[in-house]
Amino acid sequence: MPREIITLQVGQCGNQIGMEFWKQLCLEHGISKDGILEDFATQGGDRKDVFFYQADDQHYIPRALLIDLEPRVINGIQNGDYRNLYNHENIFVADHGGGAGNNWASGYHQGKGVEEEIMDMIDREADGSDSLEGFVLCHSIAGGTGSGMGSYLLETLNDRYSKKLVQTYSVFPNQMETSDVVVQPYNSLLTLKRLTLNADCVVVLDNTALGRIAVERLHLTNPTFAQTNSLVSTVMSASTTTLRYPGYMNNDLVGLLASLIPTPRCHFLMTGYTPLTVERQANVIRKTTVLDVMRRLLQTKNIMVSSYARNKEASQAKYISILNIIQGEVDPTQVHESLQRIRERKLVNFIEWGPASIQVALSKKSPYVQTAHRVSGLMLASHTSIRHLFSKCLSQYDKLRKKQAFLDNYRKFPMFADNDLSEFDESRDIIESLVDEYKACESPDYIKWGMEDPEQLMTGEGNASGVVDPKLAF
Amino acid sequence: MESMTPISCPTTPRWNQDRPFLTGRFHQETRASSKFADSKRFTLDSSSSGVEQAIGCYDTPVQELIVIDDLLSALVGIEGRYISIKRFHGKEDSIAFQVDPSMDLALQELAKRIFPLCEYYLLIDQFVESSSQFKNGLVNHAFAAALRALLLDYQAMVAQLEHQFRLGRLSIQGLWFYCQPMMGSMRALAAVIQQASTKQFVGSGVLNLLQSQAKAMAGDNSVRSLLEKMTECASNAYLSILERWVYEGIIDDPYGEFFIAENRSLKKESLSQDSTAKYWSQRYSLKDTIPGFLANIAATILTTGKYLNVMRECGHNVQVPISERSKLTIFGSNHHYLECIKAAHEFASIELVNLIKDKYDLVGRLRSIKHYLLLDQGDFLVHFMDIAREELNKKVHEISVEKLQSLLDLALRTTAAAADPRHEDLTCCVDRASLLTTLGMHKDTDSNSIEDPMSITGLETFSLSYKVQWPLSIVISKKALSKYQLIFRFLFHCKHVERQLCGAWQIHQGIRSMNSKGTAILRSSLLCRSMLKFISSLLHYLTFEVLEPNWHVMHDRLQSTRSVDEVIQHHDFFLDKCLRGCLLLLPDVLKKMEKLKSVCLQYAAATQWLISSSIDINSQSHPQKTMIRDTTVTESIFNFEREFNSELQSLGPVLSKGSQAEPYLTHLSQWILGVSKE
Repeated sequence: MPREIITLQVGQCGNQIGMEFWKQLCLEHGISKDGILEDFATQGGDRKDVFFYQADDQHYIPRALLIDLEPRVINGIQNGDYRNLYNHENIFVADHGGGAGNNWASGYHQGKGVEEEIMDMIDREADGSDSLEGFVLCHSIAGGTGSGMGSYLLETLNDRYSKKLVQTYSVFPNQMETSDVVVQPYNSLLTLKRLTLNADCVVVLDNTALGRIAVERLHLTNPTFAQTNSLVSTVMSASTTTLRYPGYMNNDLVGLLASLIPTPRCHFLMTGYTPLTVERQANVIRKTTVLDVMRRLLQTKNIMVSSYARNKEASQAKYISILNIIQGEVDPTQVHESLQRIRERKLVNFIEWGPASIQVALSKKSPYVQTAHRVSGLMLASHTSIRHLFSKCLSQYDKLRKKQAFLDNYRKFPMFADNDLSEFDESRDIIESLVDEYKACESPDYIKWGMEDPEQLMTGEGNASGVVDPKLAF
Repeated sequence: MESMTPISCPTTPRWNQDRPFLTGRFHQETRASSKFADSKRFTLDSSSSGVEQAIGCYDTPVQELIVIDDLLSALVGIEGRYISIKRFHGKEDSIAFQVDPSMDLALQELAKRIFPLCEYYLLIDQFVESSSQFKNGLVNHAFAAALRALLLDYQAMVAQLEHQFRLGRLSIQGLWFYCQPMMGSMRALAAVIQQASTKQFVGSGVLNLLQSQAKAMAGDNSVRSLLEKMTECASNAYLSILERWVYEGIIDDPYGEFFIAENRSLKKESLSQDSTAKYWSQRYSLKDTIPGFLANIAATILTTGKYLNVMRECGHNVQVPISERSKLTIFGSNHHYLECIKAAHEFASIELVNLIKDKYDLVGRLRSIKHYLLLDQGDFLVHFMDIAREELNKKVHEISVEKLQSLLDLALRTTAAAADPRHEDLTCCVDRASLLTTLGMHKDTDSNSIEDPMSITGLETFSLSYKVQWPLSIVISKKALSKYQLIFRFLFHCKHVERQLCGAWQIHQGIRSMNSKGTAILRSSLLCRSMLKFISSLLHYLTFEVLEPNWHVMHDRLQSTRSVDEVIQHHDFFLDKCLRGCLLLLPDVLKKMEKLKSVCLQYAAATQWLISSSIDINSQSHPQKTMIRDTTVTESIFNFEREFNSELQSLGPVLSKGSQAEPYLTHLSQWILGVSKE
């Protein structure tokens, strides 16, 4: 069972999208709600063992850890249809059940407290796999548990499993509406630091954009959480198809990510998916072709990250890399033609400092899931406009910080004790340098970024945040 | 046809030889004795009157009676009192009838006119006897039998004439008159026989001769129909051989007359060992003695029997359904035999194609080969490279193939390949030479760099092999398989490079906590990205631009094929197209690719050192100034960058030069170099 991936779902949001993800995987692999392989699903050709393992009685168990500090969502799972799917030893709910109170510091601190218990579970899962490839973390960055405890887990994983990949599916809060979580900018900032430093790849799922897509693309007036979550699970399952349905290329996570991520820190990916449908919702079925799918994937309205860029900036935004995972019965010659067409029409604005083109992975579709459309596609892209999302986080943080609002809740916890708010400042610096790096990517001279004189690389500036931890690196 | 099946034929039994009068042999036997007698008698005749008086002493009416009597004997090849047979032995045996010169001149003239008929009779009779010997083959036997039947008619005629003669109703003019109809036929036959026996025709030669004679005699209706009748009789034997071949795939040809030769030294097992795939093309082959009436359809006949034969070898006793109408006769209406052969061919080829496609599941087998050798289902390889890393890194001669095999089995069992029972047919093999050298052997390209066999590791020489059983080995022969292997080795090495670069990428990921702005690490990670981009573009091109589209084309074509030869042709075409597309036939481009890959590998190998030394410097010296001071580290990153970029740059002209002849190279250059920015 090589190249296994362990999924950690942390917090309310993480568990909700995780649950949808597993539902989707079960459907695609023909696994019943109880983890038993359906009679019709024996033809093989897929790789269930990347995300599942088999118990002694042959029923499939997800390699998943369900972690939360409050019991509501997990109880829901434990009483739901899929209650028998999960390994109950892998469910962690804090004894007190009080949650983290939407406080990053609380989540982080509580994470520290239960580190042993959770790491035991992770170690057990890791030992149960032949050659673990990495971890996938599902969480939101705004609340308390997913962000705070998620952050702590990221640091710990990086420490303990430094050779393993860590990918996250991070839900960014809806920044258009006033949130019920007032301290969300603080939480986001602090989590972003860990996402920058401790994850190999972050798939950004922006609630703002998800809501917009649900309203505009799916014509739902009041999209429910379940509906937006199903969008997320679609993206998650589609982005793992090349691992689950082996093909010519991208059969391991590292291969998939390495070609997408240019530099260690610029590892934030945007996603797009088309054609989108939501359960029990009759959409107009259109004719799908590879070209059509690829073209739609490049349209901002299908991208699950909102663009906060102003017009002028938007025109400078560039794609660093694109991977289109096309599912369905596709004639490979169409791929070439479509790419040619996109190239001719100059539909994509690529970076100028290095080779760039749309990569395509063709993948099989699950034979057990009937879809109305012949071809569907997922885009994973590294795009410089993502910096505007971070800038937005920064500006919101700055607003709040200027007022010194709500900081008391944080000071209660050791990291911020004695009014030591340096963690905030440090995080802010890191995010700012990340924004700078993405901005630099837009320039054709990115390759010489920060090098005033390539012959003599002696500059003093630019590394205010560069606390090098050799232990962390190697 | 190095070794033909020796034709053994039985000898004529002694009792047959000992009693010449049992057969018509005595005509030849009398040679020696009569020659002896001839000379004696004629000397006697000329010098002194022997027992008999010279015919000249009788009256003309008496002479006529004597001559008729003698002629009737001569007509069946027996010497008379005044008519003798003279045999000449020279280059060609010939016979001449002689008449006593004292005979009435008018009678002499008339008698001499009849002599040719007598000569024809003897000639034909002699031919019948000699060609009835076993060694002359079935066609000659059949021809002789038909002639014998004709001779019987002839003898009956002679007997009737004799009867008339006894009744006193036959004059010599009457004899001449009655002989007329026979004369033409016998002359034509004698001409045929003359040619046949001097050229010692057997089998198709006889048939061709008969047919051409019949055509030549088209003006003479009776002769033509006689010759056609003979052809028909003679070819019956031949057609029954043909029938067995075309309907059952068996060569039943004891005297080697058939125009298809079987080379028994080529065994069907050789298909999976012999890299030239001779079996299929040379096990059965056409000789150059094809009967004219089959010349156009000979190739069809050959394949029909071949197909039937394959099915028989598979243990399927397939027979073309035989009905009354399917009996092969040449002189049916409108070339009936051609239709029969075509029908049999149709039947055999469809039957075999269906057998190979359905029972032996050709397409499934090809798909499975595609999974493993063309990496269409590449997850097993990821795992295999994980677990076999150490073994593959060894030098070629240190590698244990058994160990690799067990690791491969393990990898196959634990990945998606497990669902495919055919994965058990996959075996490992390790070549001795690198891909370039192997290809260099294939086509004499100048290999400037003589490789050091010590420097080659399993990564360059590892390959997979696939056990293919008869009858699929007809299509997937060793030759075809070795093409698959060449493609596999190229893909495998590309995958290896990709893996190493992914490793380098992960090392860069490990130092996220360090701000890379303005450092050589940024350059390094961007170089790593370029290299990854190169190798994944190359792989993408190979798989999605070359292998997959060509596979689709072949797959579609295979659906509609109606014969195995077509299947082989489509499959070979697919492989050749893939070999070309995969650059394996373009030494210039391939060498560039190998060079680029080796730069990538060197860089990937150095990454660990480059990064860790830069980290060390950072952490030790001035923690606040986290700059890379070590110029050697920076220098080497720059060197890699320069080397890689210049190699990549120089690839452009090579590709555009080649793209005129090979249009797909433009695709490759679009993938690797991107579109040139105007």
